[in-house]
Amino acid sequence: MLNLDVVPFAPGTVNRALKDREQQVAAAVGFSGAVTGVAYIYCSSSFAVQCSAVLLGSTIRDTSADEIVNDMMGEIANMVVGKLKSGLCDRGLICVLGTPSVVRGTFSIESLSLSERRVMNFTCDGNSLTVEIMLKLTDSKLTAKNR
Amino acid sequence: MKSKILTVDDSKTIRLIVAKAFKQFDVDIFEAANGIEGLAVAAREKPDIIILDITMPVMDGAECIAKLKSSSNLKAIPVIMLTAESGRENVLKIAKMGIKDYLVKPFKEELLVERVGRIIELKAKGEDSKKLKRYDDVLNILVVDDKPAIIDQIKSALADTNWVVHGRTQTGEAVDYCSQNLPDVIIVSLTLPDAAGFVLFQMFRASAKTKITPIFGMSVKTANDEQARAVSLGFTGIVTKPLDPEELKMKICRSLNLDTSYKYFQHRQGILTLILPQVLTPVIVNEINLHLRPKVADAVDSGLIKMVVDMSQTRVADVNLVRLGISAIQLCSELGLKHRLVGTVSVQEECSNYEETNEWQFVETFDEAVLALNGSYV
Repeated sequence: MLNLDVVPFAPGTVNRALKDREQQVAAAVGFSGAVTGVAYIYCSSSFAVQCSAVLLGSTIRDTSADEIVNDMMGEIANMVVGKLKSGLCDRGLICVLGTPSVVRGTFSIESLSLSERRVMNFTCDGNSLTVEIMLKLTDSKLTAKNR
Repeated sequence: MKSKILTVDDSKTIRLIVAKAFKQFDVDIFEAANGIEGLAVAAREKPDIIILDITMPVMDGAECIAKLKSSSNLKAIPVIMLTAESGRENVLKIAKMGIKDYLVKPFKEELLVERVGRIIELKAKGEDSKKLKRYDDVLNILVVDDKPAIIDQIKSALADTNWVVHGRTQTGEAVDYCSQNLPDVIIVSLTLPDAAGFVLFQMFRASAKTKITPIFGMSVKTANDEQARAVSLGFTGIVTKPLDPEELKMKICRSLNLDTSYKYFQHRQGILTLILPQVLTPVIVNEINLHLRPKVADAVDSGLIKMVVDMSQTRVADVNLVRLGISAIQLCSELGLKHRLVGTVSVQEECSNYEETNEWQFVETFDEAVLALNGSYV
């Protein structure tokens, strides 16, 4: 859909936009059931505008409205988490998705001690993109096999 | 009539992408942000197809389709589901809902168009006005042949037109070209390795974009089996090698229903004038004959009562010319038009060898014909 190449960073690499305290856009989608958690996708707001323009085939000027950019980020988060949810369900860990929500600003995300956290950083067309997933085990179904 | 597509998705982004995907098609797009709105729009607009998201607030896709299927008015509307979830269970659940198809997000716009095109007829924008295109309009001709020399021959054959030949030596390149552009006509070599020309034809026909684009198969004259196979598959026609430029142009004109009449018919000084070219091949005679009756009838309808058949450019007066002259004169008599023939002395002499031309009234120039038709020429 976006036709952009995404290259993973080495583990532990920090999102450059976060490091530089750039304005961020983060979309979050929660899921609950056998596994409960939330997944965030975030990047700089300028890159989010760029992605919207690519996705909608229009100019950056036309797509820079926050509403469109937020919606696009939410939809991308929905697709990524949908894929994750499908993987979990195929392993017998039935869960349902929530609707996406979007936050803007300069922030950091921290996990609760009980949850398992995975952070994946990517570079895309010279920009940073981070996917952060926090999972909490809600019952005994999550065995070592399911991990 | 335009097809109607209803997209039901809580994401404005997806609704915009769906609208963008069908931008080049003659369709009306209706939008709704949830199942309840979707049902209301469906009841009001009776769309030809619904593209329905699953996860939505207020009323999700599953509930929406259940309501659609329970409505006698709406249950026949085909539905394509969009889902972000590709898991086995989800797919099975969707399949049981009575939908026509489903797509997992993220999806390519071309794929969405293709899937929708399998269910409803998608017409490219301007397709209806194609019939009004003229011979001198710019046309894009895609030629797929692994021999660049053949592509060059076609370019030379069409060099005196405004048509642009886009040569591709591999089928993959041709598919890429069509994903970005919509050619007016496609010519595919039937001798590509591994019958790739036939496979390519089927791919083009399966694509909503090129579903009705004229596609010609190209082979040597004697390759009867290949040609028969192409005809049975539904190719628009066959172009044979060695190429005859006039025949090729004629086939393209016919496939697109191009208006070529202006090449031969003009209104000059209030007189309908049929201008015959230097050489009258059977192909050209056919072409003129196709236009003759409607053009003369149109002229009469618009108040013209005189016609000149101008043979002054024609080099040889053969049986083709005589037959055409007879047809034109007969038509003038039928419709009550005064007429004159213009021809050089040699053409007049050659025509006199044919008994059928005994009563033909020749003059040597158009001006003399005008004077004669106005009654002031002796």
